[in-house]
Amino acid sequence: MGTSRRPALLAVAAGLLVAACTTGGAGGGGAAPAPRSDEQVTVSVWSNFADRELAALNRVLDGFHAKHPNITVRSEGSQDDDKILQSIRGGTAPDVAISFSTDQLGQYCSTGAWQNLGPYLERDKVDLDQIPKAVRDYTEYRGTRCAMPLLADVYGLYYNKELFAKAGITSPPRTLSELTDIAKRLTVFNPDGSIQVAGFVPTINFYNHRPQMLAPHWNARWQKPDGSSALASDPGWKEMFTWLKELVDFYGRDRLAKFTASAGQQYSADNAFQQGRVAMMIDGEYRTAFVSQYSPNLAYGTAPFPVADSRQNLHGTGYATGTIIGIPRGAKNAGAAWELVKHLTTDTDALVELSNGLKNVPTTRDALRSPKLQADENFQTFTKISESPNLASSPSSPTLASAVKFTEDFATRWLNGEVANLDEGLAALAKQIDDNAALGGK
Amino acid sequence: MTTALGAPAARRTARPGGGSVLHWIAVHSIAIALGLMFLLPLLFMALTAVMSDQQTLTTQLWPGEWRWENFAEVFAKAPMLSYLGNSLLYSGLATAGMLLTSIPAAYALSRLRWRGRNLAFFAVVAAMLLPPQVVAVPLYILWARLGLTGTLWPLVIPYLLGDFFSIFLLRQFFLTIPQDYADAARVDGCSEFRVLLRVILPMARPGIAAAALFCFLYTWNDYFGPLLYAGERPESWTLSLALASFRGLHNVEWNLTMAATLLVMLPAIVLFLFAQKSFVKGITFTGVKG
Amino acid sequence: MTATVERAPAASAAPPPLPRRRRRGRHRLVVLGFLAPALLGFGLFFCYPLVATVFFSFTRSDGLNPPEWVGLRNYVHLLTGDPVARTAAYNTLWMVVVLTTLRVVFALGTASVLARLRSGVGFFRTVFYLPALAPPVAATLAFVFLFNPGTGPVNAGLRAIGIDSPPGWFTDPAWAKPSLTLLMLWCSGELMIIILAALLDVPTELYEAAALDGAGPWSRFRHVTLPSIAPVLLFGVVNSVILSLQFFTQAVVGGSVASGAAEVAGHSKNVGWPGNSTLTFPAWLYQQGFRYFNMGYAAAMCTLLFLVSFACTVVLIRRMRSAAGTGEAR
Repeated sequence: MGTSRRPALLAVAAGLLVAACTTGGAGGGGAAPAPRSDEQVTVSVWSNFADRELAALNRVLDGFHAKHPNITVRSEGSQDDDKILQSIRGGTAPDVAISFSTDQLGQYCSTGAWQNLGPYLERDKVDLDQIPKAVRDYTEYRGTRCAMPLLADVYGLYYNKELFAKAGITSPPRTLSELTDIAKRLTVFNPDGSIQVAGFVPTINFYNHRPQMLAPHWNARWQKPDGSSALASDPGWKEMFTWLKELVDFYGRDRLAKFTASAGQQYSADNAFQQGRVAMMIDGEYRTAFVSQYSPNLAYGTAPFPVADSRQNLHGTGYATGTIIGIPRGAKNAGAAWELVKHLTTDTDALVELSNGLKNVPTTRDALRSPKLQADENFQTFTKISESPNLASSPSSPTLASAVKFTEDFATRWLNGEVANLDEGLAALAKQIDDNAALGGK
Repeated sequence: MTTALGAPAARRTARPGGGSVLHWIAVHSIAIALGLMFLLPLLFMALTAVMSDQQTLTTQLWPGEWRWENFAEVFAKAPMLSYLGNSLLYSGLATAGMLLTSIPAAYALSRLRWRGRNLAFFAVVAAMLLPPQVVAVPLYILWARLGLTGTLWPLVIPYLLGDFFSIFLLRQFFLTIPQDYADAARVDGCSEFRVLLRVILPMARPGIAAAALFCFLYTWNDYFGPLLYAGERPESWTLSLALASFRGLHNVEWNLTMAATLLVMLPAIVLFLFAQKSFVKGITFTGVKG
Repeated sequence: MTATVERAPAASAAPPPLPRRRRRGRHRLVVLGFLAPALLGFGLFFCYPLVATVFFSFTRSDGLNPPEWVGLRNYVHLLTGDPVARTAAYNTLWMVVVLTTLRVVFALGTASVLARLRSGVGFFRTVFYLPALAPPVAATLAFVFLFNPGTGPVNAGLRAIGIDSPPGWFTDPAWAKPSLTLLMLWCSGELMIIILAALLDVPTELYEAAALDGAGPWSRFRHVTLPSIAPVLLFGVVNSVILSLQFFTQAVVGGSVASGAAEVAGHSKNVGWPGNSTLTFPAWLYQQGFRYFNMGYAAAMCTLLFLVSFACTVVLIRRMRSAAGTGEAR
C-alpha cells in the first residue's frame, strides 16, 4: 500500500495540471450546430502565417464573412504550434487552428487535441472524393479525421534546361539510373577537385532532399500494417540508401560537405539551383514562385521525380504534404468554426484564390481544374502529380516525427561511411524508432 | 578591516597599471581590436537592414542600393508604437517589481544571519536550474485558469514576486560590501530596513544598476514569454514579438527583420548609455551617514 | 528558526538592551518580511512546476490527456535505450566545460581592459556591450551568415591572410560547437559589465597598500583583485554553468539556419544539424516533449537534468567558497 500511495499523493499535487488537461474535452461528441443567421458570433483563427501570406489568408476570410455576415472572423498570425497546444492545455484555444506541422497530425488526432470532424462531414454530406487520396491520408489518423487540407505542397524534379541543353540532353530523367547518369555528366569539378556544378546533391537534408520526399520513388514505406517501423523490412529503403551512397561516393564525401556548406540558403536568392550550381533537385511547387521572384531569367523545367528502375509503373508520382486546418479541443464556437473550415477547404473559389495568393497546390479536384487557377507550365507539373493515382504522403502517425528524425540521423551516418553494415544499421534504426514510439501517449 | 573613507576623487587615478605611454598604447590597441570584433557583426546586421529584399543573403555584403525606406516599411507593416508601449510596460513594471522584492530578499540572504540561510541560497540557485521550456506547461495552465492569458500580467507578476537571477546577482554584490559599514550603522541604532536603505543601497549601486539593466533588457528581448502569454492578442504584443511578423511560411524578409531588430535595439542602447552613469557614480560613494 | 543579528564583536554593547527572546522574534519577523514575496514566488514558480514535472516523469503522457503511471520506465529508457540522449548529454557537457571557462575568462579579460583604460572608457564600454543587446535569434542569424564558409566575410578574411582551407564553422560537426561558443562570447557583455562593476568596487586603498608592499601586477591581481571580486566571480561561474546547461535557442536556430532552412523560432526541421553536433540536452528534451508528444519522457529528462545540474552547482559553490577563503564568508 505504501508504494501505491505515493503516486496518488503526487497526483494531488499535480492536480491542477491534470484537471486542466481533462476539462477541455467538451464538444468532442457530436457536431455543434451552425449559428442561426441572426446570431452574431466571433470566430478566432490562429495561423503561423505572417505578412504577405497572412494578408492572402485574410482576403479569403473576408470572402467568408461576406457570405456569413453574422460570423465575424478574428485572424491572428504568427501563432506557432507550441502556442496553439499550450492554449489547448490551458482551455483558451482558438476556434480554428491552422498548422504547417503535418508531421504532428497523428498526435493531434490521437490525443484529441484537434476535434474529430467526422460528425460534421457526415451531417453536411461533404464529398471527400474531391480530395486526392494521399491528401486525405495525411489529414486523418486511423479513421479519425481531425483536420482538413488547406492547400498542399507537392514535390517533383526541378532541372536546369540550359545545363541540359549544353550537354545535349533533351528530356528530364524518368528513372533513377538515368538521373545518376545525367547527374554525373552534368557535374563539373574545379581544377583543385572541388565541385563547381553538381548534377544532383545526394546529401540528406540538403534543401528538400529529405527521406520523406525521396522515399515514394522507391515505394519505401515507413510502417508495417501493425504500425511498427518498416525501415528494416521494406526493401525500398535499402535501395534508396544504396542509390544515395553511390552518388556520394562519386562526388566524395568531403567535397560534397564543402559544396553544400556554401550552397546558399534554401529560400533566398543565392539558392544553388537558382544560381545554376545545381542541375537537378527535388523541391516543392512553391519553388516556382521563388524562381520568378529571384531568378526570373533562369531557364528551368519541372517534371515528376524519377522512380526506381524496378518500379517504372510508379512514374508520375510524388510526395505530398501540406497545411492543415482544424478545430481545437475547447473551441468556443465549434459550429461556426466548422462553417469557416468547410468554406476554406471545399469552396472552389476560396481555394483558388488562396492558391493564387500563396502559390501552393489546391486540394480539391474542382479547384485543381479551375480555369481561374494561375498555373504556368512549370506549376502545372505539380497539379498533375497531385492528381496521379500513386501520389504518396507520409502516414499520419503519432510517431512519424521521431521516425523521420532518426532516419535522417541514420542517413547522414550511412552516407558519411560510419555504418559498416547497412542491414544491421537499418535493423537498429527500426528498433530505435519502435523504442521511442513506446514512450508516447497511445 | 577598517579602511579610511573619503578621498573619492583619487580612486580612478589610483587604479593599477601605472601610467606609462607604452601601457596606454598597449591597452588601447587591445581595446580597439576587441571593439572591431564586437562591432563587425553588428555592422553586417545594419548593412543587411538597408539592402533590397533580393540582395539579402546574396554574396554581396555591401548594399547595392541603400534602401533607407526599409525602416519606414517596418513602421508601415506593424503598429510599432503600440508594441513599444507594451514593451515599456512589461520591462518597466518587471524591473521595478524585481527591484522592490529582490533587493530585500538578497539583503536577507547576504547580510542578515539566520538559520537556514545557506539552504535558502541553494534554493535560489536551484530555482534557476529548471529548464524553462518544461516549466512553461504547468505555468501556462495556472495562468489560463486565472484568466490572465492574452495579457502582460503572466509576464510581469513573476517579477513582482522576486526574480531568482536578480536575487542571486544582488546577493553576490552585497557580499562584496565590507560588513563593517553595516555594523557601524547598527551601532548607531539603525533598523535593518534603514541599514539596507542608507548603507547597502548607496554602496551597491553599480550592482543594483546592473541587475536592473539586465532585468530590463532580458524582458525587452524576451520572445517566447510574450508569444506564449500575450501572442493571441495583438493589443498586448511587444516589440520583440513584432520581429516574428516578418517571417513567412517559406521565406523570411531578412532586410526588414534586421531593420526591425535595430529599431528594437535602439531604446535598449539609449537606456544603456544612461545606465552607464550609475556604474561610474557608484564607485564614488562617500561613506556612511546616519 | 533561531536568528541572531550579525554584528562585529566590538559593537555588542551598543544596541538598546532588548530582552533576548523578543529581539530574536523581531529579527525573525524582519527576515520573513524581507523574504515574503520571494517565498511566494518560489512556491508558485519553482515548487509547483517541479512537483508537476517529477510526477509526470513517472508517467506515460502526451501532455493533453490523463497520464498513465509507468514507474521508472522513462528513466530506464533514458539511461539505457536512447543513443540520441547520450549525444545530447555529451554536447551539453562540452558546452558546460568549454563555454563556462571561456566565458568567465573572456568577460574578466575584457572587463580588465576596460578598467585599465584612461580615455574613451564610456565609448569602449558601450561598444563591448552592444552585442549583448541584440535579440538572440537575430544575433545567431548574423553570426551564421558572417561565418558562412563559402561566402561569409570571416572566411574571406582568413583566406586573405593566407589560410587556404578555413574551417566550415557552423556547417562542420567538429566546428559547430566552437562556433556557437564564439557567438556566446560575442554577446557576453552582460557578465563583463557585472565583473567590471565589481572591479571598480575594489577599494583603491587595497591596491595602494599592496603597491607599498612592492607587489607586482600579477601579485596584486592574485591577492587583491581576485579575493575582492570572488563573490561576483562565483556568480559569473554559476551563471555561465546554468546558461550552458540550458543552452537552447542559439543552438536550435544556429543549426537550422546553417543547414540552409530558414526556419526561425523553435520550429526547426534540422534540429542538431550538422550530425547532431548542436543537439543540446534541453533541445532534445524539447523535441521529445513538444515535437514527439512524449511529455512523460521529457519530464524524466528534465528531472534528471535538474538533479545533475543541482548537484554540480552545489559542489561548485562549495569548492569555490573554500578556495576563495574569506571572500564569500565575510
